[in-house]
Amino acid sequence: MYQFDMRRIKEYSFLGVISLLSFFMIFPLFHIIFTVFVDGIGTLVSTGPVFITGTLDDGGIGPAILGTLILSFFASLIGIPIAFAVGVYAYEYPYSVIGKATTALLEITQEFPTILVGLFVTQILVLPMGTYSAIAGAFALAIILMPYVAVYTKEAMSQIPFSFREAAFSLGVTKVKTVFLIIAPIAKRGILTGLLISVAKVAGETAPLLFTAGGLYQTYPDSLTQPVGAIPLLIYTLVQSPSPADHAMAWGASLVLLLIFLAAFIPLRLSIKEVRM
Amino acid sequence: MSTLKKFGRFDRFDFLTYPAVLFVFLLFTWMLAVYVTSSIPAFQREGWNVYFTNVWNASECPDKEYYGILAAIWGSLYTSTIALLVALPLSISYSIFVVDYAPKRLKGILEITSDIMAGLPTIIYGIWGAFFLVPFLKEWVMMPVYNYLSFIPIFSQKPVSGFSFFSAGVLLGIMITPFVSAVVREAYTTIPHTYREAAYSLGLTRYEATKILIGYVKPAMISGTILGFGRAIGETVAVSLVVGNAFNLSADPFSPGYTISSLIATQYGNSFIYTHMTSVLYAAGLFLFLVGLFITLLGMYVLRRWKKNVSI
Repeated sequence: MYQFDMRRIKEYSFLGVISLLSFFMIFPLFHIIFTVFVDGIGTLVSTGPVFITGTLDDGGIGPAILGTLILSFFASLIGIPIAFAVGVYAYEYPYSVIGKATTALLEITQEFPTILVGLFVTQILVLPMGTYSAIAGAFALAIILMPYVAVYTKEAMSQIPFSFREAAFSLGVTKVKTVFLIIAPIAKRGILTGLLISVAKVAGETAPLLFTAGGLYQTYPDSLTQPVGAIPLLIYTLVQSPSPADHAMAWGASLVLLLIFLAAFIPLRLSIKEVRM
Repeated sequence: MSTLKKFGRFDRFDFLTYPAVLFVFLLFTWMLAVYVTSSIPAFQREGWNVYFTNVWNASECPDKEYYGILAAIWGSLYTSTIALLVALPLSISYSIFVVDYAPKRLKGILEITSDIMAGLPTIIYGIWGAFFLVPFLKEWVMMPVYNYLSFIPIFSQKPVSGFSFFSAGVLLGIMITPFVSAVVREAYTTIPHTYREAAYSLGLTRYEATKILIGYVKPAMISGTILGFGRAIGETVAVSLVVGNAFNLSADPFSPGYTISSLIATQYGNSFIYTHMTSVLYAAGLFLFLVGLFITLLGMYVLRRWKKNVSI
């Protein structure tokens, strides 16, 4: 009987430990959301709608929100067409030498420290131009965006059964038409969702913008070759400031960023089975 | 089409996609080239001392300038190791729990939560870390450890601000957990159901069955560990907000330090007023570049070999 009991004790303590640690793993997220809400809602309520529309002097983060939109838009414009083509290539040639190398490169660049992308763009765009600019920030974000979009494209298209290709080829459809006009439209949903998740992820990046976008919070941006702000960048600057008023602003901006992120991410995540970050 | 046919086996598909593929490869090579060329002046001036000394003499007189980033390298390794110690038990337990034991509805919630954690803007981890985690850890971990365990040499200094290797490591651990568990979970899911059935048919308890099954995914756990380490070493803003940013080559986990990425993030902005600092920071970037590349390749290699050789 003693032997039996020992096994039961082990069994229950094992289940207990596993459940507890799993709980600990997700607990920080709920605590983060809770903290950001509690500390950010005060700023948002006391400032009112000005917080979303006003400049930093009015106590608002309008230019930063617009900056994030501009940066994400142009990063998508630069990155998505290239990344889509790369993803299609990696899907079409999974076993060729270049195909394998491409897949490996995509995995490497997904893991790549984002600060290094920022420093690279500083060297090739910011220093020659002589100023921080929206276009430099967008280019840095585009570099980070590309591997995610390419991998999502590749995976979404790989889900389509091989018989679709065979059917197309048997009708005499060329490879380029099969891939771009038959497989890609069938995989549209997966590709689009992956694309949007990638943009949502990139819009929250801070490190690549540190020395490329520059930051602009007192006026609204009006040119792509001038510095531009971004919500994550603004939070980073405000957190480092010693003044409690700036910290309150940072919490407010974090709440806005968190709400935008959750509103974009959760519906997208629910519409597909898994994501790769 | 006639002009295209001259190119032999190349067809329109290749013409549409090759330029993009070529561009991505060129971009990566260009990036490496920029880091190498930009850091050459630092190597010419100081040699390997850039990596192996711990000095930071920023001076207006260029002759007096001298830099060594050893403290930052140490900080990167130290914080990433702490991060793994936090992340590994959490992600392994989470993977087992989600795959084998969680009720279906809870499973969905757990998976979505983990994905949100992976995608959450790092600056939000940063602000939470700076304003909540650091004071919390100082109050509940660092002070008690100092009060009761200060006879151990590395805990003998009184924690001052809470901004430290330890805080950065814990925050990083929380941040990389979803990435590590994604690798482990994916591998653990691939174990065929018949193995579980076989284990239970022998009358094993769930604990004993899991102990056997987890053996199959050990290489995936190693790979997840390596990739998690790579993520941790490259993380920038959240770390730079909690690590304390001080040149410190100490083993005391509760003392402030630097990591390579936080060094770049905090120093690069004003490095242009000095003559030699920019190049040193690119040398630091090159180090991070190569280490990151090596770690990722190693992690991918372990995972690929396992996927190829595994016979389940």
